[in-house]
Amino acid sequence: MVTENFRRQLRQEAEKWWQDGLIDASLYQRLSDRYHLEEIEASASNRFVTILLSLGGILLGLGVITFVAANWQEWSREFRVFLLISLFVGVNVAGFYLWRKPAIGRGLQRLGHGLLLTGALILGANMALMSQMFHQSGEVFELYFIWGLGVVAMAYGLRLVSLGVLAWILLFIGYWMWWFSGSFAQMSSWIGMVMPNMALIASLVFVPLAYWCRRSRVLFCLSGIAFATLFVFGIKPLSIWQYREAGWLVAIAFALPPALLWAYDSHLWQLSRESGSRVVSPVPAPVDPFSAIARSLSVWFFSFLFYLFSFHWLWDRGFFSPSSDAWSGQLWRHLDVFLFLVLTLLGWLRLSYRLRYLSLFQEKSVNNGAIAIFTILTAAIFFWHTSVQPLPVIAPFLVNLMLFLLAIALIRDGLALGTRRTFWGGMSLLVLGILSRMLEYDTALLLKAFVFILCGVGVIVAGLYFERNLKPAKSALPANSSQEGTP
Amino acid sequence: MTSNTPLNSPNSEPESPQSFVPEVVPEVEQENQSSKPLPRRIPSWRFWVPLLFQSALIVAIPAQDAYTSITGTPITLQTVPVDPYDLLRGYSQTLNYTISRPDDLKKLPGGKEFFDTHPSYERASLYVVLEAPQSANTTPPTPWKPVRVSAKRPTDLAPDQVALRGEYTGWQVIYGLETYYMPEDQRNQLNAEINQAQRQPGQPQQRPGQPQRQAFVVDVKVDAHGNSVPVSLWVRDRNYRF
Repeated sequence: MVTENFRRQLRQEAEKWWQDGLIDASLYQRLSDRYHLEEIEASASNRFVTILLSLGGILLGLGVITFVAANWQEWSREFRVFLLISLFVGVNVAGFYLWRKPAIGRGLQRLGHGLLLTGALILGANMALMSQMFHQSGEVFELYFIWGLGVVAMAYGLRLVSLGVLAWILLFIGYWMWWFSGSFAQMSSWIGMVMPNMALIASLVFVPLAYWCRRSRVLFCLSGIAFATLFVFGIKPLSIWQYREAGWLVAIAFALPPALLWAYDSHLWQLSRESGSRVVSPVPAPVDPFSAIARSLSVWFFSFLFYLFSFHWLWDRGFFSPSSDAWSGQLWRHLDVFLFLVLTLLGWLRLSYRLRYLSLFQEKSVNNGAIAIFTILTAAIFFWHTSVQPLPVIAPFLVNLMLFLLAIALIRDGLALGTRRTFWGGMSLLVLGILSRMLEYDTALLLKAFVFILCGVGVIVAGLYFERNLKPAKSALPANSSQEGTP
Repeated sequence: MTSNTPLNSPNSEPESPQSFVPEVVPEVEQENQSSKPLPRRIPSWRFWVPLLFQSALIVAIPAQDAYTSITGTPITLQTVPVDPYDLLRGYSQTLNYTISRPDDLKKLPGGKEFFDTHPSYERASLYVVLEAPQSANTTPPTPWKPVRVSAKRPTDLAPDQVALRGEYTGWQVIYGLETYYMPEDQRNQLNAEINQAQRQPGQPQQRPGQPQRQAFVVDVKVDAHGNSVPVSLWVRDRNYRF
C-alpha cells in the first residue's frame, strides 16, 4: 500500500536527488508520473472537500427526510409514490453523471460517488415506505435481503466497491435478523428457501464481484467471511449436535470452510492442463490474486474453532437440547453443502498435483500438509464425538493439541518470514490457549502466578527476539506463494 | 531458526501488507483506476439497467396490495382488545382479530379439521369465509361474520361472502393485516381513544369465547384470491384512514 506519507517523502527525496544530480529530469518525471506526485496537495484538499461534501449531503438528506415525514400524511398516496420514485431516480442520476464525468474534477466526482451511495440508501427507505403505505406486516429481513440485492445490481453495473460493501452489510443484517427470528422451519415462503443457502448465494454474488471490481481485496475478504460464517450458521451444527445420524454434517460444518478457503483458487478448471504436463520445472501456475487472503481466513477460522472447542465443558455436556426443527433429515436443504464439498475436493486435488513439482520440505509450517491434517482431524473428532462415541477427554485434548501446534507454527512462520502479524497472531493464540487452560482447570494460585509470569516473560522475550531478528530482506522476496499463503 | 534460503519464485503474488517492500505497482494502478480513467469507460446502460431493476423492486413491493385495494371487496373485521400498556410503541400498532385465534376458528365448520391436520410447527395457509352483516351502513360498520374455514380456496361463495386468506403460524393466524402504521402526531390521540373505547363503562365485560363487540373494527379490502389490505380503522364512530 502506498501511503500518502510515503509519496510525500518520495517527492521530497526525489527533488533532492534531482538537485544533487543523482537522477535526471526525465527520471524524476517518470517517478512523478508513476506516483502521481503532482497530485499530493490536490488530493489532501480534495479529501477535506469530500468530507465537507459528505457531511453536507447527510444533513441535506436528513432535512429532506424530515420534511417529507412532516407532510407525509397530507399528501395522497399517488403523490407519495411519485415523490419517492423521483427522489430515488434523481439522486442516482445526479450521482452517476457527476461521478462519471472526470472533466468536472475530483471533488465533484466524489460528490457523485457519495450521491450514488445515498441513492442506495434511498432505495431501502423507499422500499420501507412503500411497504408502510399499504400497512404491510412482512418481516424486516425480507426488506434487507431485497434491498441488498438491489444494491448489488448497482455495484455490478458501476464496479463500485463501496456499493458492494454496503450490499454485503445489508445482506448480512438481513441474514442475522432471519437467523435470530427463529424462522428456520418456515420453508413455505421464498425467504425460507433462500436463507439456509445463503453461504452459496453470498459466494456466488460477492466473489465474482470482488474480481469484477478490479480485484478488490476488501470485497474478497468480506465474501470469504460471509461464506465461512454463513456456511456454519446455515447448518446449525450445535443444534444438530445431539443427532447421531447428523454427525457427518457437524463434521462438514466445521472442517469444510477452512479446507475450501485454503484450497481456494479461481483456476480450478485448469486442473487437467497442469496435471498433464511432465515438466520438471513447470511454468508457474497462474496464481489467484486472492488465495493469500483466503488462506489467512482459513487460519483464522481454525484459530477460532480450536479456541472455542478447546474448552472441555463443551464436550462434556453438549449444547442445548435439540429443537424440533433442527434435524429433519431433509438433505435437500443442504444442497449447498454438496456443492462446496465438490469444490473443496477439486481444490485439494489441484494442490496435491502441484505438490509433485515442489519440494516437500516447505519453508512454512502452516502449509498444505498441516492444514490437511487439521482438516481431517477436525472432521474426524466431530464425527466420532457426535455419531460414534462421545469423546469427553480425547476430543478437547486433541483440539488443544491442534491449537498449540497452530500457534507455534504461526510463531515460527512469523519469525522465518519476518511477518509481524503472523508472529503476533500465533503469540496471542498461544498465550490465550495457555491462560484459558489454566483458568479452566482448577489449578493452585501459585501455579497460576507462575504461568502468568511465564507467559508475560515469554511474550516479552519473543517480542524482543522477533524485532531484533526481523529480516526485511527476507520478506522482500515473496514466499513461495503458490504453495503457501500468509496468514 | 530456519534455513532462510531465498526462493526465487517468479510468482509475485501480493504479499501481506506487512511486507517491507510494498508491491507498489498493482496498488498504484488500483488507486489510479478507481479514481481516474475508469469512470469515463462506463457506458450509461450499466447504470440504467440496475436502476431500472431497483425501481422495479420498489414498485413490486406494493404491487399486490395496490391491486387488492383497487379490485377488492370492502369488508369489516372485528378486532380483539389490545393490551393498553402495549399501545404507545413505535409508529405502528399491532392488531389482532377475532379470526386470528385458532380457538375461535376451531368452532367454525371446517376449523377443527384444519387445525387437527396441521401441526403447529409448520406454516400453512387457510381461508376464512366471512359473511356480510344484515345491518349494513351503520357507524361504525358492523363486522363481517366468519362462517367457515378451509385449507383450499373456496369456490362456492355466496354473493354476500368473501374468502380471506390467512397463514397459520402455529399459535395464531395472520392475515397481513396486523400492522397498522400511523402518523406521529395522531398516534397518541388514537391510542388514547382506543384505550377509552376498551374501558368504556357499560360495555359488557369481554370474556374469551364470547363474541366481542365495540372496541374497534378495521375496514379491509379482499380480492378474489383472498389477499387483503387494511383500509381504515374505526374507533367507536371515528374513522382513521391513513
